[in-house]
Amino acid sequence: MSGELLNLTLRVWRQAGPAASGGFRDYQLRGVSTHMSFLEMLDVLNEQLHQAGEEPVAFDHDCREGLCGSCSLMINGQAHGPERGTTTCQLHMRRFRDGDTIVIEPWRATAFPVLRDLVVDRSAFDRIIQSGGYVSVNTGNAPDGNAIPVPGHLQELAMDAAACIGCGACVAACKNASAMLFVSAKVSQLAILPQGRPERNARVVRMVAQMDQEGFGSCTNTSECEAACPAEISVSNIARLNREYLRASMTAEF
Amino acid sequence: MNALVRILSLPACYLSRLPGCGPLVRACSTSVGQKILMAITGLSLCGFLVAHLAGNLKLFAGEQDFNQYAAMLHSLGPALAAAETGLFVVFVAHLGLALSTTAMSRAARTQAYEVMESKQGVFALPQGGASGWMLVTGAVVLVFLVCHLIDLRLKVNPFVDYRPAVAAGAAGSAGGHVNEFLAVRQVLTSSPSRYIYLLGLVALGIHLAHGVQSALQTLGISHRRWNPLFRLISLLFAWGIAVGFISLIAWAHAVNR
Repeated sequence: MSGELLNLTLRVWRQAGPAASGGFRDYQLRGVSTHMSFLEMLDVLNEQLHQAGEEPVAFDHDCREGLCGSCSLMINGQAHGPERGTTTCQLHMRRFRDGDTIVIEPWRATAFPVLRDLVVDRSAFDRIIQSGGYVSVNTGNAPDGNAIPVPGHLQELAMDAAACIGCGACVAACKNASAMLFVSAKVSQLAILPQGRPERNARVVRMVAQMDQEGFGSCTNTSECEAACPAEISVSNIARLNREYLRASMTAEF
Repeated sequence: MNALVRILSLPACYLSRLPGCGPLVRACSTSVGQKILMAITGLSLCGFLVAHLAGNLKLFAGEQDFNQYAAMLHSLGPALAAAETGLFVVFVAHLGLALSTTAMSRAARTQAYEVMESKQGVFALPQGGASGWMLVTGAVVLVFLVCHLIDLRLKVNPFVDYRPAVAAGAAGSAGGHVNEFLAVRQVLTSSPSRYIYLLGLVALGIHLAHGVQSALQTLGISHRRWNPLFRLISLLFAWGIAVGFISLIAWAHAVNR
């Protein structure tokens, strides 16, 4: 397994800190194996920069298995790169050709300020979850798993929504920098299940309020988020969020 | 734009002071609430378009039928004025909400991407298809509407010769009213107007092509099984309305030869 070796030009966003003004820097990278993941390619770049005495490029990553939602990166104008249903860490260099120029940018949203180079602060998502993306339960022994029966198709539906890894690609790819797909997944995964029902009204109202407060844009139903989502969350969750919101504002007691 | 948004939000500010209206205004002022209101106002305006097109298709039935319809509308008096006022309020609300949500979205990304590419497949249109053109097509429809009101509500367009319609109205049995049939024909065949109308109606078709299906999604009307059908009906509705009105321009052009 030798594979092809690529010579690439990387146009990378460099920014020293949150307040610093950033800009693009071009780097040449030679002999990149097509078997490398995109992040491994960046590791090689950083090694090269380190040996040259330059500051390495800062980027977010953790599990490198497509599960944690840490990695981000706008790659040639697409969140997580050209592959559908894939995070940056699972994107491989075989998707690129020898001689390609790859433009790498951080997520761009007012609610996701750049901390350094390609790293953005996504704690706005955490605050949205804190505002209502949970169920209140008593601590103690774990409840009997089968005590509350849930029909199979609803389990599937809730699980599909729960597949969201909170990476922020929906916000990054949306022309309005709207967080509707993220919030709708987090509302849906609980609203569908009996355990989430008692708090459903308060949850959707609080989460929408927090989403607005964080400075995300509004949803124009362009569905770009769905195409960009590495967990392939459906925009039907956005319709469910809208239903939940309508219901809560018209009928709720909370 | 922000100043405009502030002015347009004044009615909501005053409304929230009325007893019992505070919670409603608060619920409607979030991004989701504003979009729901946009969907409701947009679909209401679609209802008006259906009625307006149905009435105007009477042009095909001939002069007498159309003028009878016009006389019937005029005879409604205060009811017609109330309907017009309602329509105006809904229209301004739709416009104000559009500016408000757009301002929200502009503020949500102040630094643009160097490169931005859609992931929606090879059929993706520039700017994400019709959804990326809502503000532009909406603005074109607004200009068209203003011209339309000048042409046929106020009848003061200097490029249109209203004399045949006024003369026929004075001579006819309509009690001194302008002959609406001839007025419409004069407007639809006069030069800047018909091009503005054509452009306005194409913009309206594009606007509705995204607007109707987007409104359904915003109101939570979505189902895996029915969505393709909803989309088809939305598209047929949008272009049915646009082509229906354009057929009137074609008709006026044909009968005037």
